[in-house]
Amino acid sequence: MSALEIQNVRKTYGAVETLKGIDISLESGEFLVLLGSSGCGKSTLLNIIAGLAEASGGDVRIGGRSVLGVHPKDRDIAMVFQSYALYPNLSVHRNIGFGLEMRKVPTAEREKAVQETAKLLQIEALLDRKPSQLSGGQRQRVAIGRALVRKPQVFLFDEPLSNLDAKLRMETRTELKRLHQMLGTTIVYVTHDQIEAMTLATRIAVMRNGRIEQLGTPEEVYNRPATLYVAGFVGSPPMNVLSAVVGDDGLRLDGSGQVIALPGHLKGVVAAGRCVKIGVRPEALRLAAEPGGQPALQVEVEVVELTGPELVVTGRVGGQRVTACLPPRTWLEAGVALSFTFDEDAMHLFDAETEQALR
Amino acid sequence: MERKSPLFSIFIHACALLLAVVILAPLVWLFVMSISPAADLTAKPLSWWPQTVDFSRYAVLLSSVENSAGAAFVASLINSIVVAGVATLAALALAIPAAWAVSRTPSVGWSLYMVIATYMLPPVALAVPLYFGLSHLGLLNNVFGLALVYLTILAPFTTWLMKSGFDSIPREIEAAAMIDGAGLFATWRIITLPLAAPVMATSALFAFLLAWDEFFYALLFTSDLRAKTLTVAIADLAGGRVSDYGLIATAGVLAALPPVVIGLVMQRALISGLTSGGVKG
Repeated sequence: MSALEIQNVRKTYGAVETLKGIDISLESGEFLVLLGSSGCGKSTLLNIIAGLAEASGGDVRIGGRSVLGVHPKDRDIAMVFQSYALYPNLSVHRNIGFGLEMRKVPTAEREKAVQETAKLLQIEALLDRKPSQLSGGQRQRVAIGRALVRKPQVFLFDEPLSNLDAKLRMETRTELKRLHQMLGTTIVYVTHDQIEAMTLATRIAVMRNGRIEQLGTPEEVYNRPATLYVAGFVGSPPMNVLSAVVGDDGLRLDGSGQVIALPGHLKGVVAAGRCVKIGVRPEALRLAAEPGGQPALQVEVEVVELTGPELVVTGRVGGQRVTACLPPRTWLEAGVALSFTFDEDAMHLFDAETEQALR
Repeated sequence: MERKSPLFSIFIHACALLLAVVILAPLVWLFVMSISPAADLTAKPLSWWPQTVDFSRYAVLLSSVENSAGAAFVASLINSIVVAGVATLAALALAIPAAWAVSRTPSVGWSLYMVIATYMLPPVALAVPLYFGLSHLGLLNNVFGLALVYLTILAPFTTWLMKSGFDSIPREIEAAAMIDGAGLFATWRIITLPLAAPVMATSALFAFLLAWDEFFYALLFTSDLRAKTLTVAIADLAGGRVSDYGLIATAGVLAALPPVVIGLVMQRALISGLTSGGVKG
């Protein structure tokens, strides 16, 4: 039985359709990340699961039971908000225990649960404070604790890390991963940060304009993007996208006329004359030792940036921009012309019009 | 903090002092008048400081001898407290749910604007309909009738004030309480209303002051000790053939006391900033 099932969920505001039929089925213990830029409908979907918004169509089932029209408190969910939404007038102790208090859990049992949760999150020393006396990271822990203490069927996280500074965000991310591994809870997590999505998720749903572009494991989403949008959204720096036309001898790049041989796994997929987009991840590009059997790009280097762990090289192939991530000790300077190669497998092909992956 | 020249510092203090003098001078003069002998107040040139201090007028106004000026004053004082108190409490009881509803449901915000629009009418425009209305209900010259009239003024005002107060409480906090299992009234009791306490106190204070200072409707709708309020009673003191300015001043001092006391009592609740820390600011 799935922990959470979303069937053809739609949401319209007047004439605007923000969710256009979402289908997701989530097993118990899964960590689903809804990934997308702002306005893609991911928060709306989360609010519909939480019961803070009503779906215009479709069904949401939690633990096999349809929860349409069910009050949020009766859905067996807990939610962590982007703004934490702690109760400012109550102590941390009461904040965490509030859900149990409202559910009339006996005081002794409640006390035990609060203490256990506080210990788990290492906030035992803060229990008597008010939220205003806490730092951002501590507030975040309290908000997570408030959700954890009730042991609900599904946890909902609405961009919980976006208000933390970079270092704390990384720490909390690892902490969340640890908690998920330890407790085996079912989580739906909304974010626009692809790193969070890649590191935390067991499955990612990349959303765009109220639709799911791709639903898959992080590995699938990264290595086998279903659409050009997914390819550009996941990965940093984003995947290089080059326009080309399929010719008899291979892929002819727009602007420069360079020809790249069609990789074996793509032969027979595209016919000559078709307009396509070639996708190659920056980290898949290498400096060519010598022209060989592998596909290669002739690039004029424009900018060389050393980030520390890697050297980010930006250049042009004809009129089209290409970025490559190279080992930091590579000697390079702006203005030179180079040849980059990549493995055949690292090349993705997308239809220029539908933007769907060609496989 | 940037460095300040001594001259600038003096200038700042002078400004503060000037403001204090402008605000306090009339009050001080009011008090001085109330304790000056009658002769001093009519002397030419005016003596700014009394030769002898005379508290007798306070005794006159607070005496409970029947049919005296004191009895009339004390009755009007009580009437004012009842009218302003009842009107304020009723206004709060109406405004809290209304303001919350408008704040959380922006689509019904137009209703509040319509109510506010009636606020633009001058009181005199409503005087005649209100008079007939009260007369029909048998509530003329009645403290509760007057409180009802005041409610029509206070309710829109407090609703407006409190709506902005509720607006500043993030909806997410209430959503969180809802998911945590709190019903609407539990959410209100434990979360929303405590957070709105400062704005509720401010609304109550201003509503009370508004009702306390009202003169026009009180003059029209009350006629004797049973319902006359302080503002009308003070006007009566000035209306006789011989006016004792000192007595009027004394009445003014006494009339100012209840709002001051209420303000002091509410001072704690008026301290805002209780909402900080719940959400990332």
